[in-house]
Amino acid sequence: MLEIENLMVFFENALAVNGLTMAVNTGEIVGVIGSNSAGKTTLMNTVSGLIIDMRIKEKRKGGERITVYGRISFEGEDITEASADARVQKGIVLSRERHPVFGESSVIENLKISGHLRKRSEIAETMDSVFELFPALYPLRKRKAGFLSGGEQQMLAIGMALTVRPTLLLLDEPLLGLSPLMQKAVVEAIVNLNQDSGITVVICEQFARPVLPIIDRGYVVENGMLTLSGTGAELMDNPEIKAAYFGI
Amino acid sequence: MLAGTAIYAIINSVILALMAIGFNLTFGISGVANFAYGAFYVLSAYATWMMINLLGFSYPVSVLLSILITALLGAAMYRFVLMRVRGQALSEVIATFGIGLAVLELFRYFGFVGFEYNLPVFADYSFFIGGAFVDMQRLLIVAIGVVLVLGLWVFTHHTSLGLAFRGIAQDERTALTFGINPDKIAMLAVAMGAGLAAVAATVIIPLGTISPEEGYDVLIKALAVCIIGGLGSTGGVILASFVIGFAERFTDSYIGSHWTMIVSLAAILIVLAVKPSGFFGKQKELEERI
Repeated sequence: MLEIENLMVFFENALAVNGLTMAVNTGEIVGVIGSNSAGKTTLMNTVSGLIIDMRIKEKRKGGERITVYGRISFEGEDITEASADARVQKGIVLSRERHPVFGESSVIENLKISGHLRKRSEIAETMDSVFELFPALYPLRKRKAGFLSGGEQQMLAIGMALTVRPTLLLLDEPLLGLSPLMQKAVVEAIVNLNQDSGITVVICEQFARPVLPIIDRGYVVENGMLTLSGTGAELMDNPEIKAAYFGI
Repeated sequence: MLAGTAIYAIINSVILALMAIGFNLTFGISGVANFAYGAFYVLSAYATWMMINLLGFSYPVSVLLSILITALLGAAMYRFVLMRVRGQALSEVIATFGIGLAVLELFRYFGFVGFEYNLPVFADYSFFIGGAFVDMQRLLIVAIGVVLVLGLWVFTHHTSLGLAFRGIAQDERTALTFGINPDKIAMLAVAMGAGLAAVAATVIIPLGTISPEEGYDVLIKALAVCIIGGLGSTGGVILASFVIGFAERFTDSYIGSHWTMIVSLAAILIVLAVKPSGFFGKQKELEERI
């Protein structure tokens, strides 16, 4: 479904992603595991096309020069230079890190804004399934999103991505800053939406422990480079992973 | 006298709100402070005048065409000038102010000044309400102002494009992840702001004449109202219009007409001293609470 070939991303002369090659098959949950500054967010921004927008904005300001080499293709089509909104139209939707929501709008309005590409009836339908997926959001639906807790905002952020009806959902650090209980709820929801709605999911995370059991395949990145890859079970048994991420 | 003054104060407030609402919409959504706003206001009035008097178009056709043309010019200004300097507030202000200045001074240079440059009123009769004569035009201004504000509210809360506007206004990058293109929305926001300036000119200009000064005047009033209300907040614009509108009219009736300008400037100073973000500095309020 998604193929990334030899991807390199430079911010000025700093290399954020270095020669990364990976693939995501339809229906899979793929994990990208790495510590801070490993290049996970840059990878997500590059796949979702946000980097194209960032590059234009920086160029207008005369700021940082952003360069992307390599090839990203989605369902056989080269999308390396496609704009972020064109990629959303194709079905690639990113839920950014630190659960960004529209703070001044209510939960319901947030879901309406995010689903603005879809028909009214489709939004209503997805909204119901979002509340089914995250029952905790339902009592809060009229509250301003800015007043929700971090975990609730994370649920909302994932729900907002779902209203776009993605075929490929990219989650950038969905567990960041959440309590273990909340992490469990979010992980369960990810499994549910993968199994019930058939959405292909890519999760970037530094918390490997809750993520590794649910992924079909995983990639480990360090300093922008791929160091390991394998199925979820293989990675869990890998002594290096155990040492680095489980502290065993 | 009190009732009459109050009625004129309400009319004055609605006029101020109409003048400011387009500027506020553009700024609230795209963050572009369109200093060419006054020029769009005057330009649309001249366009209507020319279509009626030189091309012989009927009044409604001229009005609709000039609103459309002004909106298109707004979009063109964004696409060809503002987009290149987007995100740099100072450059945006200089670019728009320069364009506005050029347009207004060109009209002056070509001699578009005088009493013959005015627009027709909708209906020429008046009522006697609360001890004062109120003409139909002023009542229509109030009605159109109310309809416009309600229409904008419905637009931003219940249409898919309006919701996209609100998304961009709050967080551009997040909105982009849902397929909302910031440049497209900003272009539409500038165009709509210019179109609203044209609507305001259509209903307000018939009370006076068209002149380049009117452009500067409208820009200053729009800025004053928006700053007092809290930039980008529609509720703030309405409240601020009423504060300035009432202050001006009551000063005019009870103290002296030469004090009106000072009163509105004093109102700006006081509000900025007491609450620097304006009446509804909404984002700031939210940030303080969490």
